[in-house]
Amino acid sequence: MSTNGKHKLTAMMLVRNEAERYLNTCLSHLNVYTDEIIILDDASTDNTSEVCLTYPKVKLYRNEEPMFIANESLARKKLWQLVEKSNPDWILAIDADEVFEDQIESQIGYIMAGDDYDAVEFRIFDFWKSMTHYRVDGLWNPWNRFSTLLIRYQPGKVYSWPDLPLHCGRIPMEYRSHRIKRFQSNIRVKHFGWADEKDHIKKYAFYKQKDPEGRLQAKNHLESVLDKEVKLEEWTESKSLSF
Amino acid sequence: MAKISILTTNHYSPEGNRIIYGGAERYGVEFTKMLVEMGFDVEWWQIGTGWESEIIPGVKLRTIPESEAPLKTLPRLNQAFYEKTVDADLAVYFVTFLAYPQVKEKSISISHGIFWDYPGFDTDLQTDTERREWLRRLYIALNGPQKVVSVDTATIQWAVSTWPGLFNKFEYIPNFVDTEKFKPGDKVLGNNKVRVAFPRRMTSVRGINEAAYAAEVLTKKYKNVEFHFIGRAHSDELEKQLTQWANRSQNIYYYWKSPEDMPRVLVNMDIVLIPSKSTEGTALSCLEAMAVGLPIIAGYVGGLSDLIINGYNGLLIKPTPKNLVNAIDYLLKNPDLRQKIGRNARETALAFDITIWKKRWAEVISEVLGK
Repeated sequence: MSTNGKHKLTAMMLVRNEAERYLNTCLSHLNVYTDEIIILDDASTDNTSEVCLTYPKVKLYRNEEPMFIANESLARKKLWQLVEKSNPDWILAIDADEVFEDQIESQIGYIMAGDDYDAVEFRIFDFWKSMTHYRVDGLWNPWNRFSTLLIRYQPGKVYSWPDLPLHCGRIPMEYRSHRIKRFQSNIRVKHFGWADEKDHIKKYAFYKQKDPEGRLQAKNHLESVLDKEVKLEEWTESKSLSF
Repeated sequence: MAKISILTTNHYSPEGNRIIYGGAERYGVEFTKMLVEMGFDVEWWQIGTGWESEIIPGVKLRTIPESEAPLKTLPRLNQAFYEKTVDADLAVYFVTFLAYPQVKEKSISISHGIFWDYPGFDTDLQTDTERREWLRRLYIALNGPQKVVSVDTATIQWAVSTWPGLFNKFEYIPNFVDTEKFKPGDKVLGNNKVRVAFPRRMTSVRGINEAAYAAEVLTKKYKNVEFHFIGRAHSDELEKQLTQWANRSQNIYYYWKSPEDMPRVLVNMDIVLIPSKSTEGTALSCLEAMAVGLPIIAGYVGGLSDLIINGYNGLLIKPTPKNLVNAIDYLLKNPDLRQKIGRNARETALAFDITIWKKRWAEVISEVLGK
């Protein structure tokens, strides 16, 4: 029996050295409303694996050598194959620094009960140098973009990933086509990846080194990480529904 | 197998970045399902850069890169559709003005209600010459197809009082509700709040500003009253403003649900607001709330007066801010009346069941194809 009655929800996550960041917050939320959390630990050198294993729904797999840095596409494929084995009805593709608004807990079962769509999109809010404000200028504006994070798994279909070293996306190509029926949800996702200023230079340097010409991501978006002046909005949590 | 080609403007947004399931889109989906059940080969066309999609599994939607709209008509789209659908046995113009200037030999158009009654229309067409020309084109669009199916009587009355010769052109097939899916049910037990819902697109013509005003006034007056604004807005910016506005208040909610999740949501409501000011037909959201057995406060606009009789199965008002506040307050103070009106609303909704809608459509289609 799944947490939400009818549909088995499997979360999938690729992690590396997340123990000191937002992993606990993320997993304690997921533990409430998912049925299984498949994690591929990409050769962490901290105690990420130990943290993961404190959550009963986690099924942990480990790379002995880092795979994501060398070839993101391969790492995504490996995680996907592990998720397919868990026989899910729906798959939630989430990162270790992302947390849904609490209302997901009461509503996810109803979202998965829908027949009219196979992919669900959400707005992701990038918290900026704080846990209270998110960034809204330029390409950071969370209100005008949706990301597909929840997909209906269809056994027997062939799934593929773009052969890119970086930014190859967290869901298979087949879910990005025009033909996939989508639902855009009002439930929002908080992304804490930029919440700690200390991470900024490190992340910037990583992407800059992987993609110096800006071929895989708009170059001005990467450069905007270093902007001195940014526009922020204060986060207000939406109330949960009692039905 | 006879082939039906349907022309619409935007079932999906031409850029494809915002996905909206409004009343017209849901009408399109149910209409397609009905035609497929009847054994027709169906295809859809809309404005777009050449991409293809499906309206329901197995039914293609193709696009035509013609978006030029002089005087609120789309003659180039109309012509491209005419040329691309040589194998169609029947053309359906999903919006009346798409039938301008030329229609296929066998064709039907659908009027979803009067759309030229919003205040901006008068400034959109600024000169007498433009307005006369627009009227001439509307006449050509209405006179072209063998049948114009109207979802309300208001459109028919306006058109026939303007051009009596169109009397036999019209068929009245009001909108529908699936009364098996939308039916009275038990609320999820919880906080004993009385819930007022605005289950519409968040636009000015639907009365969003009046409803938001009423929400502020009445949540201050009553601590046990919640307002639920359920639906998407026309822009990301407006969705942002509504989210932030609702989050500032303890008893105001803003969200949206998929159409198939709406029966469950409506069952948990107590009063429904349809305070439209213009561009209204026989709103699906009104019929759905009626089928759930809820008392409705509606504006006397478009087709809403085909559905609501004031004091019997709802309240029919001029949707000014004060009138809306007073009407909601009246129903909040009279729970027995809410029950009685809600029961009558359910009874009324049965006369608009989707099975009746399908039967009426089958008659019209066979009449046109038989000619």
